Parts: sequence; C-alpha cells; structure tokens
Amino acid sequence: MRKILVFMLGALTSLCVSMGAMAQVKEIRVLLANHPYGDLLKSAIPEFENATGIRVNVESLQESQLTTKLTTEFATNSSSVDVFMTRPLQEGKMFYKNGWYEPLMTYDFSDYPKNVMSVSTFGQKSYIVPLVTEWQVLYYRKDVFKEAGIKVPTNFTELEAAAKKLNSDSLAGIASRGKGAAAVTQASSYIYNFGGLYLDKGVAVFNSKPAIDALRFYGKLLGNYGPKGVTSMSWENIMPLFQAGKVAMWTDASVFYGQIIDPAKTQVSAENVGIANFPAGPKMNSPFIVTSWGIAVAKQSKNKDLAMRFLEWATSKELAAKGMLANITMARSSVWEDPAILAKVNPGLVETRAYAAKFGNPLDRPYMSAVGEARDLIGELIIESINTRGASANLEKMAKEKVAKVNEILEDTGEYGK
Amino acid sequence: MKKKLVSTIFFYLLVTGIALVVLFPFVWMLASSFKTQVDIISWPPKFIFSPTLQNYQKVFGEQDFLKYFFNSTIIGAVSVGLSLVLGLPAAYSISRYAQKKLAVFILLARLMPGISFLMPWYIVFSRLNLMDSYVALILSHMLISLPIVVWIMSTYFSTIPREMEESAMVDGATRQYAFFTIILPLSGPGIITATTLSFIFSWNNFMFSQVLSMEKTKTLPIAVYNFVSYAEVDWGGVMAAAVAIMAPAIVLTMIFQKYVVKGLTMGAVKG
Repeated sequence: MRKILVFMLGALTSLCVSMGAMAQVKEIRVLLANHPYGDLLKSAIPEFENATGIRVNVESLQESQLTTKLTTEFATNSSSVDVFMTRPLQEGKMFYKNGWYEPLMTYDFSDYPKNVMSVSTFGQKSYIVPLVTEWQVLYYRKDVFKEAGIKVPTNFTELEAAAKKLNSDSLAGIASRGKGAAAVTQASSYIYNFGGLYLDKGVAVFNSKPAIDALRFYGKLLGNYGPKGVTSMSWENIMPLFQAGKVAMWTDASVFYGQIIDPAKTQVSAENVGIANFPAGPKMNSPFIVTSWGIAVAKQSKNKDLAMRFLEWATSKELAAKGMLANITMARSSVWEDPAILAKVNPGLVETRAYAAKFGNPLDRPYMSAVGEARDLIGELIIESINTRGASANLEKMAKEKVAKVNEILEDTGEYGK
Repeated sequence: MKKKLVSTIFFYLLVTGIALVVLFPFVWMLASSFKTQVDIISWPPKFIFSPTLQNYQKVFGEQDFLKYFFNSTIIGAVSVGLSLVLGLPAAYSISRYAQKKLAVFILLARLMPGISFLMPWYIVFSRLNLMDSYVALILSHMLISLPIVVWIMSTYFSTIPREMEESAMVDGATRQYAFFTIILPLSGPGIITATTLSFIFSWNNFMFSQVLSMEKTKTLPIAVYNFVSYAEVDWGGVMAAAVAIMAPAIVLTMIFQKYVVKGLTMGAVKG
C-alpha cells in the first residue's frame, strides 16, 4: 500500500515539474466579455500573436458570468488571469478596493475625455483603460410624429405632451426601463435634469426635492403612457416592443441604436427611426455618458509585462477605429474627430455624443462598491412611483428610508462622505 | 352510459388543458428556434412563418456546440458511472446495516448550497493545476450524483427481502458475492432511475461548470450564454441551443420514464 502511495506521489511531483517547464512559453490569459468589441479583439488576436510571439489564451463570457468568475478567481488569490474586460461603474470600485486592478503607470491616457477618466482613476493613479462609452438618448418614431404633426420634444414638458398625444391602445406613448434595479441607470438622467443626484460626495441624497420630483415625473410618464407591465421591463423587453412598432418614444442608452435600425432585427424601417438628444429638464440638460466597458491588468498577474503589451495593443487607436466602423461607440476622443471615420458613422450618434461628451454626467448609478444593493433599494422607489403614476403619498417617506439604508451601506464599506 | 361519456369528455378536456399549459413554453421555444429575429419579436405573434435553419446553423456551425455536447456527455457519464461504483455498495451497506446517520450525512452534502463548495474547490483545483480539466468537473459533478444514487438505491435495496441473500450466504456465498450476483441483477429499475436522474442533474448543472470550466471543458448550459451579448440577445440562437440541449434529456426521460416513476415510488409504502 505504502509503495503505491509513494509511487503516486512521485508521479504527481514529476507531473507538476513538467507543467512548470511548459509554462516557460510566453503566454497570457485574457478574459473578454460577450460584447461586440470583445468579438472584434478575439478575431484580431492572431495578428497580435504573430507580431509578438505571445500566445493568448482567450475566453469570452457573458457579463455576469465574467464578474462571477473574476471574483472567485481573485478572491481565492489563485487567479491566472492577466488581462480582463471590466465594467467600471458596476464593479470598478469594489475591484479597486480589493486591490484586484494593477495601476497603469506607463499608459498614455491623454486621448480620453476627462469626465470619462474620472471613473478609471482612484487617487492619483488610473487603473482601467476605457473602451466603450454610451449615453442616454431619445429614440422616436419619425412616421408617428409626422402623422400627429408634432415636433421632437426638447424638454420634459414637451416630452410629456408628446407621450400623452401619441399614446393609444396599440401604441405606448413612451417607454423607459421600469424594472426596479435595471431602471436606476435610465432614471438617472431624469434626476440630473431636475437638479438631483443619487450620491453627492459619498452621501446618498436621492430624497432631495429635485430627485423626488424627477422620480414622480418618471412614474407619471411611464404609469400613464408607458407599455403595460412596464415595471417588469428592462431593455430586453422594451427593445423588442420598439422593434415591433409598439412604442412611439423610448429613452435609453445609445448602444441600442444599431439594433433598432438593423432590418434583420426590426419591423420598423430604419428611415422611420429617429435619435435625438435627451430632453432638457427644469434645471439643466446633463444626460449620462458612461464608460460601460474598460479593460485592465490583473494585480495577481505573473506576466505583467506581457499583459501591458497586450493592453496597449487592445486599446490602440487602430483598433478603436475598427471598432467605430463596426458601430461600437469607442471611448477615445480622437476617433470622434477623424473625418474619415465619422463619414461612416451614423450622424445621429455623432451629434448626440458631441452633446453628451460636453455636458454629460459620467455616472448613471450610485457610484459605490455595493452598487447592486443600492440599485435594488432605489429600484423600489421607481416601481412605487410608476405604480402610483407619480402620485404616491409614501414616496418621500420611502425615499428617506432608502437613503438611510444606502448611507448605512456606505458607512459599512468606509465610503461614506468620501 | 351517458354519465360515463360525460366523465370521459371531461377527462380529456382536463388532460388537454394541462398538456396545453405544460407544452406551451416548449412549443413556443421550438417554433422560435426556426424563426428569424424579426418573426420572434413580432406582435401579434406569428404562428405561420417561413421556417429558417439559420439558428441551428449558428449553434452547430459558428459555435462549436458539438464540442460542448461532448464535454457535457463525458462529464455526466463518467461522474454518474463513478457515483454508481461508489454509491451502490454504500447504499447497500446503509440499507442492510441501518446506517441512518451515514445516510443523513451524505444527504447533507446535497442540502448544502452548491455555491459554498466553489471557493474551496477553486483553490484546490487551481493549486493542483486541474482547472479546466475533466477531472475537476467530474469530481464536482459527483457531488450532485452520488447522494442521488445513495438515497434512491438504499430505499430500493430495502425493498428486496433479506432472505434472498441470506439463503445464498447459507450456501456459502460471501456477502460481496451475494451483492453482485443476487442483489444487483434485481435492482435494474432502481439503478436506471438513479442513473437517469443524476445524469440529467449533471447535464443541467450551471454553477459548478461556470467557475471550474474554461474554454476547453465548457459545458452546454454555459455555452447557451454565448448567444447573450452585452445589450443584445440573439433569441433565435438561444432557442435553438435550448432545443438542442433539451433533446437528449427528453429522449432519455421518455425511454426510461416508466422505470423512473417505479424507482421513485419503490419503498414508498415501507416504513
């Protein structure tokens, strides 16, 4: 028996040694998201491998799977990931606090807009290279507007009037996300334009008068003129409705534009689909413009030099230009200034981006490490407001409770007041 | 006579009603897998459409679903096989020697949320360089199948009269010999039940594969998500992949259904 054990141990050791020897080959492991830019990188990786001799083991995963996987690997301190795609607003703060991002000291960030960089930087150092931005816009049906003889709304009063006029049994006047936590990002621009915020310098303030007014307005719009069952709808549910011609206006992120004008995916012909700036509120017009995806080097990486080389390549201007041509709204500023590229990008996107890049807010959710919990809490307010068509007598009281809870979470994680 | 006719009609109405409710999602999925994206989202829903094989082309052409099928099959079959090798004698012992505590202990492994095993497993497997290996996935899936085998089989063995093996042992057979030559051949339906159920549970398992597998050993439930991208869902692809994944499970269940029901209720009236 003992002999067998000794033999097995010996075999195992030699196996480990031989595996160690194999690791001498220059190779890195990269985790990408199921995202058009991830697909683009994946197809371009062979070029990188040929040019550098570095072997890239690439995996692509759906976003929540990606987060689960990264979290498990990093938390157990036994990750072999070198480079990974990441969502700065959703997981950035938590990953940074846990020390999972490697600071990018040598990277040249001069080509990225300031408001975009604000979410990649902690203290003096930057940790994430922004890849893709998206901003809030108003999608509308040109044909429906023409028939009704009204203009595209530029402020909230006009928005409500248009929604009221266009709403009918077969057509929802307006749609926007109503499903609790998922709606938090889309309600953000409404709150900003009323003059409110989710968090102000690390303190929850979404029970302020402007924020409550905004939540009431959001509830009134969707409760009265939204599609049936809007409180269980996220973009997955609203986009098909819009594509089936059941919605007159839709406020959501710019990322969906490509899909609602693609004849292979929609019943509404592209010429009848319009895109416009998000309407102004009583206080200002500052729709969100967020870095939905970035890319980072893992702190636990054992091949940081190789990882940096990959990162430089993956975020290069050349690939960003390719991304633009594939209808991906890249974060780099220079690609939005190159006439040769812009000639091939949809003018609606160029215009709305120009506005948002200048006046937009870089956050679309409470920016904290426990984003998910805070979103659930705020989501309850949104649902309450929609269910009561904005007239809930409880909203102030509920908001006060939720603010207290979010502040408690902020204190627990040591982010309160920072 | 008239009364009988009414009750027959009522019976079939009820059956049709239940079948409609149960089958509707499945029919919807099947129909959608042959539709284009425009037809899938169209409202009112289209019941008559020109079918396309484009979605299946994506599943087996663009995506390497044959590889994922292979992975799921290997992992399911080997983990169930090993669970039978370990679980059948264990179940026999539990049944014959009334080792209740042991049985509960094994059940505990099944009752604990699977996610609590993931972190330790990840640490162990990554230190052993077993990440993305069949070994890691087979071992983890045995956590699902072993308790099923033990529990189904121990109740099953209890229904076989002790006298069967006792008479063999009186004639000089060892307990092991009696187990292999007398008890096992009598346990066909039970073994089939345990095998089918644990294979299907392994086939459908998402959580373990999500963390322990990578590109090489990706299993089917994970691969469905290849059609879910950021801000975009390819419903046709998802539906076609779901049909492809369900097909073997449905066929398996249909073939062994009568055993499964029999095996599950076996010993039900025994205290």
